[in-house]
Amino acid sequence: MTETMQKEIEQRREIINTFKTELIRRLNLPYTPDDLHEDVALLGAGLGLDSLDALEIVLCIENSFGIKIPDENIAVLRSINTVVDFVISQKSKKEGQQ
Amino acid sequence: MRTSPFHKNFAANNATFANRFETEIVSRVGDAKNEYETIRNAAGITDFSFMQRFRFPEEKGLDFLDSLCAGNVAKLRFGRILHTFLADDDGMIIADCYIANNDEEFILLCESIADDDAVVQLLLSRGAAEAGMEDLSKSHALLSIDGYKAWAVAKELFGADVLGLPYLSIERYEYNGAGISLFRAGKTSEFGYLLLVEAGKTDLLFDACLASARKISGGLCGIDIHNDLRLEGRFFNVFAEGVLVRDPLELGLQWMIDFNKEQFAGRDAIAARRASGLSKKIIGICAAADVSGFTKGATIVNGNDSVATIVATCFSYTLDKFVGLALFSVDCAYAGLSFNLGTGEGPKVSTISMPPIMPKSLTVKLDDM
Repeated sequence: MTETMQKEIEQRREIINTFKTELIRRLNLPYTPDDLHEDVALLGAGLGLDSLDALEIVLCIENSFGIKIPDENIAVLRSINTVVDFVISQKSKKEGQQ
Repeated sequence: MRTSPFHKNFAANNATFANRFETEIVSRVGDAKNEYETIRNAAGITDFSFMQRFRFPEEKGLDFLDSLCAGNVAKLRFGRILHTFLADDDGMIIADCYIANNDEEFILLCESIADDDAVVQLLLSRGAAEAGMEDLSKSHALLSIDGYKAWAVAKELFGADVLGLPYLSIERYEYNGAGISLFRAGKTSEFGYLLLVEAGKTDLLFDACLASARKISGGLCGIDIHNDLRLEGRFFNVFAEGVLVRDPLELGLQWMIDFNKEQFAGRDAIAARRASGLSKKIIGICAAADVSGFTKGATIVNGNDSVATIVATCFSYTLDKFVGLALFSVDCAYAGLSFNLGTGEGPKVSTISMPPIMPKSLTVKLDDM
């Protein structure tokens, strides 16, 4: 594995772990972080969370990563992985602006 | 081979049939892209009678199903559906299941990688007869309505209150004298309804569904396109990745399991694997539309090292590229990485976040219906 790939994995792993841990804590989910596959659907199918839970997820992202999700951007909440993609892209944008 | 009560209806529309685990399926009715667009943009009517279906009286059924399936049936509220699975004693998946709490009964719908006899024998060996099981697999049929506008067909047949049904719920309706159990479910990412009807009342229902679907540019579909739509929407497909991988933990189906339950088929084996940690898991992948060899069983490499095996693929007409699932070593089972197909010089394969598309149905508001 190249050093670049290792760094990409590390960055992603850290965000995934932070998000999963917060998600489990806030929503009181009966799982460990390892139990939550990153592609599991957050709303409807999969974890079966509802619109109130969606609000909690948005707050979870804002508090954990200091990143706001626009109201109309529900596509971000498709899965843990799509949330992580969004966080990574917003962090890159922020770093680019600094 | 078990045939469907809808066989003649689909045969009259030039459907292609196939045999899957000794059950006949309608594999295709038209062109794959047309069927894809029918469901993504309108409403597709599909024969789901291949699913095994069983009815249990409420009281005995609850205890039996709860001790059998991985999910928590005891917590299933009236009118709701639990999506879970049935495993063997080794904790390997046999069937993807919907369990519905339908008034004074439970209904179990199974997509099994075993034939009818094997599934029935398994259920009987665990006490299904004592639980009052009634096998509806031959006496009833299942027709699905899926699509961005599937709600319009359901509304025309059963009335506007269908629109208020949440995902994974069940309701009973009458349609011209036929009692129908409607499952608000589906695995296409679009609106989905499964209609359970007596085998003697299928013609009327088929004609009404098709006529209504055609009003909105919908039509008939086969199961093959559902396989593609499930993959694109990252819904578990027991007939694709499920039949190859079978371990619910490697498949990422922990959300279907209540780990606090003291008993369900395969519990001890699953708990042992969970405690020792995963070495492999499936994740999403994609490749350009002109890549050849992006098929089930192909190897994904990092340099000279094999890191994954492809377990499911389809062509995404929305993304205009191939998407798939591959069983990766956990060390590199992360989205956003690049590998090669077959050899270090092979075509590029990327790991991706699933589901890769945003279905239009998620943007539909009740006021628009």
